[in-house]
Amino acid sequence: MMQRKYANEEVDVVIVGAGAAGGVLAKELSEAGMSVVVLEAGPFRDPQKDFASDELSMNDLGWQDTRIVDGKDPLTMGHNNSGRGIGGGTVHFTAVFLRFQDADFKARTIDGVAEDWPIGYEDLEPYYSRIEKEIAVSGPKHFPWGNYHGPYPYPEREPLSPNAYLFMNGCDKLGIRSSVAPLAILSAPFEGRPPCINRGFCNQGCMPDAKFSTLIVHIPKAIKAGAEVLADCMVTQVLMGKDGRVRGVSFVHEGSTYEQKAKVVILSAYVVETPRLLLNSANAQFPNGLANSSGWVGKGIMVHSSQDVYAKFNDEIRLYKGTPVLATTQDFYRSDPNNNFVRGYTLHAHGARPVGFAQGISKSQGGPVWGERLRETLLNYNYYGRVTMVGEVLPHEDNRVTLTDELDSHGLPRAKVTFSYGDNDTKLIDHAVGKMSSILEAAGGKVEFVIPDTAHMMGGCRMGDDAEASVVNSYGQTHDIPNLFICDASIFVTSGAGNPTNTVMSLALRTADYIKEKAKKLELTSSG
Amino acid sequence: MTNFGHYPSFDVMKEQDEWDDHTQSIVASRLKPQGNFQFLTHAEAGMLNRICSILVSDQTPEVMNFVLGHIDQTLHKSPGEGQRKTGVPQAPELIREGLKAIDQGTRERYSASFLELDNVRQTQYLKDISESKAEPHPIWSRIPQEPLFQKLMSLTVEAYCSHPKVWSEIGYAGPAYPRGYVRTELGQVDPWEAKREP
Ligand SMILES: Cc1cc2nc3c(=O)[nH]c(=O)nc-3n(C[C@H](O)[C@H](O)[C@H](O)COP(=O)(O)OP(=O)(O)OC[C@H]3O[C@@H](n4cnc5c(N)ncnc54)[C@H](O)[C@@H]3O)c2cc1C
Ligand code: SF4
Repeated sequence: MMQRKYANEEVDVVIVGAGAAGGVLAKELSEAGMSVVVLEAGPFRDPQKDFASDELSMNDLGWQDTRIVDGKDPLTMGHNNSGRGIGGGTVHFTAVFLRFQDADFKARTIDGVAEDWPIGYEDLEPYYSRIEKEIAVSGPKHFPWGNYHGPYPYPEREPLSPNAYLFMNGCDKLGIRSSVAPLAILSAPFEGRPPCINRGFCNQGCMPDAKFSTLIVHIPKAIKAGAEVLADCMVTQVLMGKDGRVRGVSFVHEGSTYEQKAKVVILSAYVVETPRLLLNSANAQFPNGLANSSGWVGKGIMVHSSQDVYAKFNDEIRLYKGTPVLATTQDFYRSDPNNNFVRGYTLHAHGARPVGFAQGISKSQGGPVWGERLRETLLNYNYYGRVTMVGEVLPHEDNRVTLTDELDSHGLPRAKVTFSYGDNDTKLIDHAVGKMSSILEAAGGKVEFVIPDTAHMMGGCRMGDDAEASVVNSYGQTHDIPNLFICDASIFVTSGAGNPTNTVMSLALRTADYIKEKAKKLELTSSG
Repeated sequence: MTNFGHYPSFDVMKEQDEWDDHTQSIVASRLKPQGNFQFLTHAEAGMLNRICSILVSDQTPEVMNFVLGHIDQTLHKSPGEGQRKTGVPQAPELIREGLKAIDQGTRERYSASFLELDNVRQTQYLKDISESKAEPHPIWSRIPQEPLFQKLMSLTVEAYCSHPKVWSEIGYAGPAYPRGYVRTELGQVDPWEAKREP
């Protein structure tokens, strides 16, 4: 049995999922004096005892439970794009912390593709600043691209990694601008946490607490402000009242089912589980799933194309050293009339440890690499450098989350995730692979492997002003049910061409402000 | 134990006292013999031993023993596969039925069990599977070949590249907490890292 604080009470807010968005919401709303329960499917880990400097054993930071994948380009899920446990994806993310640019919110207006967001860069600008300050993002004095050029709250990281220096050398030779990446990683002490020691295991969880995660930053603050944060609690249904409003959720903890009543329910369970929960909560009144009168729940999911290019050098590079991403360029971020595609991409110098390296190489473009060739490559592991892309992927209705007939251990239908690249996406990838290759070659390497890969998920419950073609408004409030909110990466309209989590967290701050405001005016009441 | 790479005398385990306790116990446990498999039968383990060593072109017994132990535990505990393509059987069934098909397939094609074939034929048969070309068709009709190959590959590679012997061989300095890296310019190494030997 669990120790409970709010077992039989109706709380102000229940938050499903304690990841990037859920963590921010929990902190903001509990600090505003609201009663908050956070339900998280995965465990509450202690970085010192539960993390390890090891790839294999830290695979379970990912959402390992099976998703069925389909489409022309079936996705690799699990550790690759989904977190599980308090902190969600922030526990094992790479911590590259970028803002979106004004053009990211206006793909339809600028390029006639996808849809515009119902908000623009200027709406998020104050929230980006607040989040960056709150977690002391480190970054350059002058960031060359986009709408914000710095300075960042904390100085840029120094020293970098060998692979980052290599990347910057290559860029210099080609006249491509490069910069130290803005990172949610400390470059100096902050709130009792030490600066990064460049050990390089960001994707396995940061043991010294130098890297931000909501596990170590927002959730402890929320608990201090009175929030009840429950781990190992998988929410299985959103419960409807008789008046068309939600009244709470049911969840499973160690095999038993419980209910939590709440005035407001916020789903922050990420791009697969948020739509899955809405679809699994279908009832007589909402036979196609909750908040789905538009039919858009689960549709329009996106990833970033994330092709890796490996080149071999005559001298050792040692990809294991240092924070995985320390250098970046956004010179190819925006649409360029000279290209045969619209939108763009970011390029990062990206380190790799042996498991990730070999798993990638083995799936190389042009057929699997194994046997003697793989072994030979492994023996030369220290001689490879790598660049990776974060490419914009346009949304498509057919890329979606649906339910299958196969059940999980809770008896819930598993999610099916269908994904295929479109024509623009593949042209953009070809262009980026060319640029990455030329950077590595300018730095003195010989390109040997191109690895098809994807990163980050977005969309599936997109925001919009039109209730017939979107699921939520720009505050994450569902069009259909006023006291049901969605706040996570699923509400993105387009993917942008940079890492998304600064935007996820800024949207969460904005939603929190909105809920606080509404609550003050007593506009968010529970179901009768 | 011979080390074939650029760093013949590097042994990453010499540094283990510098690692945090949790990491130390995880990595050290990989050096202990893994016996008493819970999922794999004796015959399946024998076949896998051969297949996995071809996939990574390395037969070092203690490394292969760890790889098999990892595969056995993964199939036994079934923590979830992250993702599985539509129409592909669950991992335990895919591997079990896949091994059966490999054995029967080579018996029909070459009148010899997989283990009785020479290395060249074994490798060729695995190559056929990787390209969904393995025959005879009736034996393979229910088993998707490329997904079988990919599953075997990813289970093998993730374990193989987690063995400290392989870390030493490739010159990977391994766990780095609480110590971290200080000398990170191109060409620099910290004192405990592997040094290239001519
Ligand atoms: C390997 C990797 C590297 C990355 N690197 C970067 C990077 O460098 N920069 C960047 O900006 N982004 C990066 N990301 C992306 C980043 O992790 C996500 O954008 C971010 O975590 C999304 O936040 P979220 O709140 O939408 O969901 P999440 O953080 O994923 O949180 C969702 C939470 O909900 C929980 N949950 C799901 N279903 C239920 C349920 N039914 N009941 C209860 N709880 C549930 C999950 O367990 C999870 O903890 C990376 C991601 C990965 C996987
Ligand atoms: S590189 Fe730095 S931020 Fe990343 S895990 Fe290591 S200490 Fe933490």
